[in-house]
This record gives sequence, C-alpha cells and structure tokens, in this order.
Amino acid sequence: MAEKKKKMPRVFDYFEEEDLFSGGVAWCAGCALELNARFVGRIMGKNTVLVGTPSCSAPVLNGQNTAAWHKLGHYACTMTGVASSATGLSRYYRKAGIDANVMCFTGDGCAQDIGFQTMSGAAERNEKMIYLCYDNEGYMNTGVQRSSGTPFGAATSTTPVGSAGHGKDTAKKDLPMLMSMHDIPYVATATLSHLEDYAKKLQKAKEKSREGFVYLHVFCPCVDGWRIPTDSSIQVCRAAVRTNYFPLWESEDGHYRITHNVSKPKPVEELTGLVGKFKHMSKEEKETLQSMVNKRFNILKALCEGTQNAA
Amino acid sequence: MTVQLDKQSKVITGNAAAAYAAMLCRPDVVAAYPITPQSEVVEQLARFHANGVLDCEYVPVEGENSAQNVVCGASMAGGRTFTATSSYGLVYMYDALFNTAGYRAPVVMVNVNREPPGIHAVCSGQQDMISTRDTGWVQLIAESCQEILDTVIQGFRLAEDHDIQLPVMINYDGYYLSYLAESVEIPAIEDVDKYLEVLKSQPQRPRLIPGQSIGCGSHGMGMGYVELRRRHMDAMERVKAKVDDIDASFAESFGRSYGGQVETYRAEDADIVLVTSGSVTGTARTVVDARREAGLKVGLVKLRLFRPFPVQQLSEALKGKKAIGVLDRSIGFGWNCGPIFMETKALASQIGIVPMLSFIDGLANMDITKEHIDTMIDAIYDASQGKDYQETTWLP
Repeated sequence: MAEKKKKMPRVFDYFEEEDLFSGGVAWCAGCALELNARFVGRIMGKNTVLVGTPSCSAPVLNGQNTAAWHKLGHYACTMTGVASSATGLSRYYRKAGIDANVMCFTGDGCAQDIGFQTMSGAAERNEKMIYLCYDNEGYMNTGVQRSSGTPFGAATSTTPVGSAGHGKDTAKKDLPMLMSMHDIPYVATATLSHLEDYAKKLQKAKEKSREGFVYLHVFCPCVDGWRIPTDSSIQVCRAAVRTNYFPLWESEDGHYRITHNVSKPKPVEELTGLVGKFKHMSKEEKETLQSMVNKRFNILKALCEGTQNAA
Repeated sequence: MTVQLDKQSKVITGNAAAAYAAMLCRPDVVAAYPITPQSEVVEQLARFHANGVLDCEYVPVEGENSAQNVVCGASMAGGRTFTATSSYGLVYMYDALFNTAGYRAPVVMVNVNREPPGIHAVCSGQQDMISTRDTGWVQLIAESCQEILDTVIQGFRLAEDHDIQLPVMINYDGYYLSYLAESVEIPAIEDVDKYLEVLKSQPQRPRLIPGQSIGCGSHGMGMGYVELRRRHMDAMERVKAKVDDIDASFAESFGRSYGGQVETYRAEDADIVLVTSGSVTGTARTVVDARREAGLKVGLVKLRLFRPFPVQQLSEALKGKKAIGVLDRSIGFGWNCGPIFMETKALASQIGIVPMLSFIDGLANMDITKEHIDTMIDAIYDASQGKDYQETTWLP
C-alpha cells in the first residue's frame, strides 16, 4: 500500500535526531526557549554535552529533585564558570580522543554580564566549543531584572517606569559583534522566525567548532518578562528581523555576511508595538531606539562590505 | 632546558618542587593563572609543557575563577587535573571551590599561602587557606620543599582514591617556602607511576561522557541535596585514616614520611606542648631542642592536615599535657584568637581542661624568630604552673 508522504518543510532535512526533550517540561506556555532547546538538540545530535547555569533552562536541563527532561549529557555550573567549565570538558575530551560537541547554553545575563570574562577568555584561547546565548534581554528567570542585554527603553524590575524613570537608559550591548572581534572561526545570529537560516548556522557551528570557538546569538523573546501574548513569540522574532532590530548575519573566518536581507526595513515601532516592555516609550525615546538600530546596522553593513573581498 | 625524569637530587625552590611533583603525576589537564608568590609554579609547568616533558592540555586562563572551573570540568569528564594559586586567586575562585568539592572532583591544587587583604599584602600568612576551610576541600600544610613535592604526589593518591573522591589543596608558606631553594630529592617518574598504579585497579568514578544521558552538578533541593552533603561529609571523615595510610605507603615506596595527619616531636613525655604548622615548625624544633637541653619538658605537634581536622590524632598528642599553646599565622574574628587555636580548643572534651594559649604571629611576612618561640614556651610553661595567663597574645 503506497503511503502518501506529506511534504515536510526543508528545515527537517537538517535534523539529525528525534526530539531529545520529553514532553511536559517546566517551561512557560509559549516559551521561545523551549522551541530553541528542542531545535538545537535535534540538529546538534546526541554527541552533545550542554553546559548550563542557573537560569530558565536549568530546571529542564538539570532537573530539580527529578531527572532532567532530556537525553543529552549536561554539566551545570555557576554563572561565572560556563565557558571555563566547557573548556575543561573540551580539553579533556581532546586529550582522551573523545569526539564531542561541547555547547554552552545560557541566557544573555550570563553571556553578556557575569560570565562574559570567562567567555571572552575561552574565545581568545580559541577553545573548541560552541557558545549559544539565547537572548531574552534580561534576567527573565529571576523576575525580569535588567542585564546589559536589555535594550534602551525597556521596562524591567530594576529599570522600572515611574515619574522619574523611563526604563533602561543605555543601549543594549552588541554581544555578537563584540564576540566577532575575538578573531574566532564563526559567529552568527539566529532566531526562530527564520528556521532554515538557524539550522544552517547550527550545522556550520558544529563543523567550525572543530577548529575553535563558535559564538551563536539567538534572539529569544520571553512571554512573561516582555509582556507578550503566549502565541506571539515567533511573530516578535520576525518583527525583530524585519525592523533590523535583530539582523541575521554571520562572520566566518572574519568575513561578515548578512544571511537574510531585509529589502525594506520596517520602523522599529513595528517591534516595540508588539511588546509590553516598550509600551510606555515616548515618541522621542522610540526615535532614539531607532537611531541606535540604524547605527548598528550601518556598522554591520560596512563590515560586510569591507570584508567581502578580503583575503 | 631538558628535564631528566630519572631519580635525582636538585636544589630547587618550593614552587619548583610543586611543579615537578605535578609533572611527575602526569596530569591530563593543567590550568592556572599566575599570581605572586605562586607564578613560578605556572611558569615551570609551562616550560615542562613547552619542552614536551609534560604531555597535557595546558590552559593558560584569564583568571583564577576560570582555572578552577577548567580543572573541575576536566576532572568530571574523567581527567587528572592540577592547578595552583594563592591569596586573592584562591578567593577569586571561591564559588568554584564549592562546586569542585560538591561535585566530588578530585582536583589537586597547591595554594601558596599569602595574606589578604590589601593589594600590597604580597607576603606570607595562612589567612587565604583558613578562609576556604568550609568549602569541602581536603587541606594539607607542608613544611619544607621536599614535603611539598611529596605531599603533591600523595595528594593525587588521596584525591582520586575511590573511597575519597575529593579535591585536595596543598598549602605552603609564600616567600618562606615558595622562594626557598633547598636540596630536594626528585623521584623517578616510573616510581611515581608505580606509586599511583593502585588507583587504576579501583572502580572507575562516574564521569560525564558525550552520548550518555548523564548530568553533573544537580544537587537539587531538599533530600537530594541533604544526601549529597552527608556523603561528602562521610568521605571527608574517611580522609583522616587515609592520609595516615598514604603517608605510610609513601614511606615504603620512597623512604620518606611525615607522620600522616599530625607529626609529633618530643611530645610523648612532654609536660607542655606547642602546636605549629608549615615552615615555622623547623624553627620551633630548634627551640624545643634547646629548651629540652635546659631541662624543660616541652614538645611540639605539627599540624599537617587541617581539613578534615585531625580530632583523634591531635587529641591523642595533646592528652595529659599541663598546658598547650597554638601558633596561628592568621586571625579568627569573633573569638578573639587564632583559627587553629579555636579548633584545638574545641578538643577540650577529649583532652580535658588545661590552660590553652593562642599565639598570633608571622602575619604579613613578620619573621617568627627563635625569641618569639621562646616567649611562647615561657608563657605556656607559666600557665602550666598555675599562673594567670592571657589567652591570646599577638607577637611581635
């Protein structure tokens, strides 16, 4: 009996494994982090050891008074010690001739703030590993405090809006750009609205981590902390790409390339309008945010042009 | 520079002795960050590595916190690991010290004792070691360059023992030992291999390997946490007898031993006793000899194991004495005395109530002279004769 095969989206071609996570995980309804974890696991495969830290991902990756909700090897450490612990694992596997994908899997608070030194150190030493930062723009797990990944204007519990306060008053740290300046084999940005782009980058990350340090920066909205509806995460991701708020690009061996060109970028208001944490912003503040987005995108464009034909 | 791997005698510093010992134990991963007065350990290991004598993954990290996490991670993957630090470096890896011990990673580390606080307190003192006593590490203190080398080798034997599986911190005085050059017998690498061979016959410890669904570092909450803490504490208790056994088997292999947990010197028939640790013990021995010649029945007890605290061995050594003095090279807030004194005083239920005197000396490289030791012995003697005494004395 001939079975009619339903045509699968192309992104399925990149999957190496079944879903490595169980159902009923301890993440919020509509959590983009859950989708990321499942997606990353399927492409990275079973030979992956995840290194994580206290965060939204910890209860699932690590388990709390119960087994973890996945089949991968996992190493939990303090937020200060992610890339360094991964270095230890990666170095020993190399010494012992054990093949492994060592992948740090943390939020932006760890990557951009408290774990930054050790990550920068590991990148400078070109340790063979992948660092994936899921960027939910603050400390979402512990009650939505600001991090250096929180964007200008955003309201968090430590940058509240009041008669004198208007949310965060400085720009978001541009971490993927900063990491690309470490002269490492591969840096890329990705998000869930553009899955094939994301899948290709994960695959390349796996390859390039055999040569050295790979940094992936994944835009990852938080339904609770950003005050968005539980069914809107992907829509918010798409808006971030379409507004150039979160451009999709990669830097391979120092060659910068925008992997998804947005021909007519939308005003940043198309993103901020969807997200509760930006709702209070004045016209002027939105203009400031827009000018920050433009400035960053121009730097990226210049880098792409400048390194296109470089040897 | 070529490094001979045969048995040899060499005049080397305490730091070099530590590096030689680590190299002889063939670690898989070495990660360290330089800090005065420990830097020479890292430099020497880097040279061993550059010359191909040390076949390991050498990770020159960007800070001590990373050093500790690297060796903890590598250890949990199954490797033999070594690191070295001092003072603020030890404090900078404080969070990671808890994990290394809590994960039961058998890391071996030398800590070259140096004072905090003050960035220019680049001088000897044991405050760094004392401040990390509750992190769950085994802490040993060495007296001489030879003892440093031997204790590092013993440290690997202890840390990786299947009944123990705990990180071991070997402490020695900055300046007094780190830069002191003296003749050290360096064993042949094959003999060290042979000494550590017994570890290979033990069951393999759990390790984090890719492809296996295994997690590391999940202490959980509630009973899961309590159970792991209890097991950690039980392992720590087993360390005491193991330190004695390992010291004895070391003597069989290399002809040198250090008394295990504590070393007593002319203490058996002594009326009064001074408790010391580290490099000052040599000076104290000389003074004890002189006072013995003058007819005073004074003895010496050297504390070699600080964590776990050698309750039984120390009690036995101190039982029946008429007065006891304890020399500390650090301070303990809250009880107005030295920390080792405070712990020794807690033995009162085992050894009985006798005068106990705390001496705080040798902070920040202040020399503990023979005169100082004499002053201490005089004070202990007077107290033993029923005279009024001051519990805590700062020298100089």
